[in-house]
Order: sequence, then C-alpha cells, then structure tokens
Amino acid sequence: MDKKELASVHVALPNLVEQLEKGRTTRRDFLRTSTLLGLSATAAYGIAGKITGEHFVAPARAQQGTPGGTVRISMNVMELSDPSLADWSQKSNIYRAVNEPLAKIGADNITRPYLAERWEANDDLTAWTFHLRQNATWSNGDAFIADDVVANIEKWLDEAHGSSNYSRFSSLEGAEAIDDHTVRFNLSSPDLAVPESLGDYPALIVHRDFWNNGGSFLDNPGTGPFQMSDYSVAERATLAQRTDAPWWGGDVLLGGIDIIDHGDDPSAYLAALASGQVDLLYEISADQVAAVRGMEDLELYETVTGQTGVARFHVTSPPFDDPRVRRAIRACIDHDVLLELAFQNLGTPGEDHHVAPIHPEYAELPRPQQDYDLARSLLAEAGYADGLDIEINCVAQPTWEPNTCQVIAEMLRPAGINLNVNILPGGTYWDRWTDWPFGFTSWTHRPLGVQVLNLAYRTGVPWNETNYSNPEFDALLDQANATLDLEARRAITEQLEQIIQNDSIIIQPYWRAIHTASNRNINGFQLQPAREFDFPVWSMSSS
Amino acid sequence: MIVFLARRLVFMLLTMLAVSIILFAMLEVNVESIAVRVLGAYSTDTQREIWLEANGYLRPIYVRYIEWLGNFLVGDFGESTRFNTRVADILWPRLGNTGLLALFTFGIMIPISLTLGVFAGMREGSRTDRSITFLSVITTSVPEFASAVLLSFIFVFWLGLLPGTSGFTDGFSLREMILPVMVLIIYDFGYVARMTRASMAEVMQSPYIRTAVLKGLPYRRVVMRHALRNALIAPFTVIVLQINWLLSGVIVVEYFFAYKGFGALLLEAALNNDVDLIQACAMIAVIVAVGTQTIADIGYTYLNPRIRFT
Repeated sequence: MDKKELASVHVALPNLVEQLEKGRTTRRDFLRTSTLLGLSATAAYGIAGKITGEHFVAPARAQQGTPGGTVRISMNVMELSDPSLADWSQKSNIYRAVNEPLAKIGADNITRPYLAERWEANDDLTAWTFHLRQNATWSNGDAFIADDVVANIEKWLDEAHGSSNYSRFSSLEGAEAIDDHTVRFNLSSPDLAVPESLGDYPALIVHRDFWNNGGSFLDNPGTGPFQMSDYSVAERATLAQRTDAPWWGGDVLLGGIDIIDHGDDPSAYLAALASGQVDLLYEISADQVAAVRGMEDLELYETVTGQTGVARFHVTSPPFDDPRVRRAIRACIDHDVLLELAFQNLGTPGEDHHVAPIHPEYAELPRPQQDYDLARSLLAEAGYADGLDIEINCVAQPTWEPNTCQVIAEMLRPAGINLNVNILPGGTYWDRWTDWPFGFTSWTHRPLGVQVLNLAYRTGVPWNETNYSNPEFDALLDQANATLDLEARRAITEQLEQIIQNDSIIIQPYWRAIHTASNRNINGFQLQPAREFDFPVWSMSSS
Repeated sequence: MIVFLARRLVFMLLTMLAVSIILFAMLEVNVESIAVRVLGAYSTDTQREIWLEANGYLRPIYVRYIEWLGNFLVGDFGESTRFNTRVADILWPRLGNTGLLALFTFGIMIPISLTLGVFAGMREGSRTDRSITFLSVITTSVPEFASAVLLSFIFVFWLGLLPGTSGFTDGFSLREMILPVMVLIIYDFGYVARMTRASMAEVMQSPYIRTAVLKGLPYRRVVMRHALRNALIAPFTVIVLQINWLLSGVIVVEYFFAYKGFGALLLEAALNNDVDLIQACAMIAVIVAVGTQTIADIGYTYLNPRIRFT
C-alpha cells in the first residue's frame, strides 16, 4: 500500500509507517495502532514484515486436530442472561461462543476487526465508521445488519439497563446506520480506544430483537459458530456447532464445548485436570504453578498482563485526605519484595501509577524506593509521630489479594504504622468497593493505559474508587484520548503517571502474570491477557 | 408422651420463627447489597436505585418479611440471584445429593464404628481396646481438609486411580463417590466408635452383666442379649445427631471435591450474598437440626424405658 492508500484509511497511518521505518515505534505498537485505525490485520502484518524483514503472520487457525472433537473446560458456570450485563469474564467466555464482538483483542494484546471487517475514524477521533461483515448471519437465518449494532448501542447507553458499557462508552452519543452494513459512532469527545472498548468482554453484539424477545441469551440467536445445547447454573454448560447455516468465518474444527463447574476451590480444578476429567482449566493460582510445572502430562500457559490490584486511598476520607500520610505509606513499600512474597515473583513490579509496561503508551519513571526515614518524617509532619492505626479492606478470594495486603502490613510496621487487614467475603467487599477509606481492588487487563485511567481516576466517573479529582489530570487525559501519535501520547502519559505518583493515591504492588494449564490434546489455545477464549481457532487431537 | 411431642413441636416452630426473623433482619436490612449482587459490582448507584424500586425492595422491612414468610410456608423460597432460578429448583436436588453422600457414609461407617466400639468396650484395657482407641483418636484428630488433601495426593495425583472431583457431570459414578465418603468416614468413625466403646464398657461393668456371667451364661449370649441394647442408647443419640453434621458440616468435603451438595450450596450462597438462598438453606438446616434433636429424644425414650416424660 502506498501512502495515499494508507491515508485513505486514516490520515495518521502514513506517519505511523514512517515511525516504524525509523525505528521509533515497535512492531507490536505498529500492529496495535494501525489495526486500531482501521488497517486490516493482513495489511498491517504485511507492512511490518516488509519493513523489518521478518516474516510475521497473524495468528492462524489450528491446522491440526480431529474435526468434531469436544473440549472439556473447568470453569465457573454462572447465570446467563444478557451479554451486555456480563460482570465476569467466565460468563462472557460462554456468551462469546454464540455472540460475537465487533472487534477482538488477541493474545498478543492487539485489537483486530471481527464482526466489523474494518473501520475508520475521522481526524479528531470523534466519529468512527464501522463496516460490518456482509456474510455474517444469525442462527435464526436473519442477516447481520447495521440495525443490530444500533440496537445494542442504544441499550448500552440506557443507564437503567445497568450495563457497564454505559461507563465504558461514556463519550459515545449514539450510533446511526449509514446503510445495511455501515454504522457510524458519534462521540462527544475524542476517544482513540473505541475499537478496544468494543473488544471488551461485555460488548458482544446480540440480535436487534433480543430485548423484545425476552432479553435472555438462552432464547435468542447468535452469529457465532456455536449454540447452547445444555445449561445448568453452577454445574455445566454444553455448546455444539450451529447447524442452521455455515459460520461466516468458515469451518471450525472444534465440534463442541463442555464447560464443567468445579466450584471455587482451585485444588478441585487441578485435581480434575490431573485425573483426566477435563482438558483445560480456566485458571490456576500462582501457588499452583510450581505443581503444574512438575507434571509432565500437562501444559502450562503463562502470559504477562495488565491485570493488577491497587491498594487505593479514598483521598477525601481521613487520615488519607492528608497527602503526607499517603506518601508516608507509599514510602514503606518495596515493590520487588512485595512481588516475591505475595505472588511468587510471577509478574512485574508496579510503579504506583496504573499504566503497565505492556501498554503502548507506557513511559518508564524512576522506580519508587523504600525509604523508612522519609516515611517517619512525613508521619511526624502530619501529626502521627507516635504511630498510626489504619485498616485496609480486601476480599478473601483470590488469595493473592489478602496475601498482598498482609505483606504491605508487614512493610508498614517499621515506620510505626499498624495496618489491620480486614478480609471480607467478595460480596461484602464489592457492595461498597468505591466507599472503603482504604481498600484493595483488583483490576482486569485493558489493552490501552488510557482506558484504565479514564475509568478509574477521572473526576466523577462511577468507578473512581479513590474519589480523586484533579482538573490538570483530567485535561491531560482528554489530550491523551485525542492523541494518536504514540510518541506524543507517551509524553502525555508520562505526565499522567507522574501526577498519580506524586499525589500518592494508590499503591500498585505488581502486574500479574496469569496462568492456566491443559492436557496436551488441545491445539490452538493461547492464554489471552483477559482470559478470553477464542474457540473457533481451537481443535482437539484424537488421543 | 403426647404432651412431650406437642411441646417439642411448639419448640420447633418457635425456634424456626425466631431464626427466620433474625435471618431476615440480618440479610435484608442492607438492600444495597442485593442490587449489587444482581447488577454486578460495577453498576452505578442510579442503576441500583432503579432496580431496587422496580423489585419492591424499598418497601418497609416488616412488609417484606410477612410476604417472605407466607411464600416460604407454601414452598416458594424465592429466586436465587446466583443461580438465576427458583431456590426450590436448586435446593432440593442439592439436598438429595447430600442425602446420598450421607447414606453411603452412614451405610459404611455405622457398622464399622459400632462393631469396633463394641469389641473395644467388651474387654476394656485389652490390646484390641487400646488399638481401636488409638486408631480412633488418630483419625478423629485429622481434620477433613487434611485427609482430603492426603487421599487426593495418593489416589489422584500419585497412583492415578480415582477421579479428582465428584461432580457427577456424567451421571452418578461410584468411583467419584469413593474419596468424599472415605474422608467423612475417616473423620467420623472414631468418634462414634469411642462413644460406643465407652457405653459398652460401662454396661459391661454393670452388676446385672456380672450376675449373668456368674450364672454361667455363655459370654456371647450375655453380650448379644443383655449388654448390647443398653450399650447402644448413647451411640444412638450420637448417630442421629450426626445427620445434622452431615447436612451442613460437610462443607469442606463438598467444596474440596466439587461435590454438588447442600453444604457447598450454603457456602456458595453465603459467598455470593444470595439472600433468598441463604434464608432457605438456613431454615432447612434449622428444621433438620431441631428435627433430629426431637427424633433423638423420642428414640432415647423408646430405648430407655427408665426415662418418663410428664
């Protein structure tokens, strides 16, 4: 493609190619940004290969295996109702076999077109046009058309509906069908992460009549290659290939999916895999990684992610309304030791600003250092020279969360800070997760750093659990949202990271590597950072 | 006897009523948590408010309690937010599964522990008595989670002989039943055996047994016809009360082996703040607890005619 053709897809693409040619951007960042701007994955990989001289191929379908094999997975089977109300990725993994997103985020953290075959944005990123696949059909025989997408967007933007997409697409004013296979999204402010948000797990597209037809996933058609055949909450979900019409993506080797719920005890999952009752686990805990490494018949999967947890201060609640107290607490933390003790060193130390090294706009800052002298002097300055008693709330499961809080408590002790770790059942914690004066909250992976900053630290947004409000930060975030050029966005992000660090609103202990395990019969499985399953590319070996 | 039964029945009803009020007050005062459970942790305050209004949760708590009690009495336990279905649809099958587990456990454990207890108590202080007592103390001292891990390591991970979970996903499987039943038996048989031994030893010291022996009756006949019935009174009470333990006290075993039983259901309900399900499970547990207590009392009366109720 020449520059003119590239510019016709998006005005920023020629510049992006130039950056790759000059070595100012990495192959991965180029692939991510170019596909985000509407370049097809094939063209993006082709350009990258030509410039770097390496042969890159887009993730391909599994070419081996027996057609028709069924994969048995150990994963929680939760109640299924409306994909846009999904609040756990386990739910969306079942939804995704039947209902599909417009864009899909791969195991390499790159977003690619899916039900939309391509898209383009206007220059200031306030209007995005999505071109839909013309060969996709619903399992009831209806054609997949723009009205389907518009109906979904309208529902997501209805606050009473209760979808988290309402917050996810806060800048989206609405969608309009240009023709049967073209939809335009109109935004109130620039947002470069629209395709990434469309790849998030609650953004699966359901049929335009979904809500008129009862609003239940179980009674409505899908565009995906599978359909539900049996389902029982907390027990089992069985899916078989759809039989009414061929799937738009072609042949699928996997004949069926059998998801078995083994409860919440990680040891039960592993026992099921070890005894051959299942082929794949949804997850294993960090404690189990060493055990799986010791089992020759099992395959261990690991991937670096933007999944993390933050010990965050509610900055308007005493004593955390005093920045000196927050800085003193942060000064006690040794992130390397924290990672080693609380998570078996299976990840990357955090830097207390919630932008991960795998995010494209990440800017490296000097690592926070443990400094007890500084902590003591700040505490004395804040009026706590004789010590400080505080409490942190966290959930009981998964265990890495309370473990991390316990290690933090030990690190605070030498500075005279007595931290009581209050471990709560998940339901109790999440009831008030944005209200706790000091709480530990897990955050899932998102492909772009600005996505998390927009969700968690912008003034007044529903998920702002720190109650942080900084007009300077908000203005810079607006600027980052509207900046396509990666270098320029990285420079803005550096300032954003610095502000969060300076204001000491969170302790972010580490970025978690995630793990799972399977037997050796599965082909094509890759551990995606948000644990999203991509069933169409899997197959099973005969033995 | 009739007065006694009537008293027990009234006591049962009052206990259940008191528990229902406490439960309801504890679980339904904070209606916000119910909305969070249904709409998800990341829902907004406005979304929760709309949902609570639409589902009648903003009405006074006593109105909601009376409505709930009326529904409970006719078998309508409400809707489970965790399972998105009627509580009754999930509760009865789970109760049945735990009943099956209890049946297997009792079916094997009771004969073993009674036999061992009687043998030990027949000759107090003998080598047999000391061996059985030692074994009982050791097995009872090992908590269920520890024996579950140990047995799982041996039979699942090391020898590869048994399945690691017991979910019966492909229908009932005797092989999947082995490990949970084994764990429960190991934990509980020692307790029943020691109670039986103590009771048997006490009876064997009684003057009427000594008289029977001195009269020249065969020892076997003395034990079978004279000692056994009296020696089983105390173990009977203990065994009946184990039903209560098997219903809600087997949470660890059901959780560890992913067994879809009542104990695991209660835990899941509690962890997920599933209010209607917690209420129903707790009420069933109370009914069983009070019911088994009553059965134990009646049985004790039948076995021991010296006890008279006025």
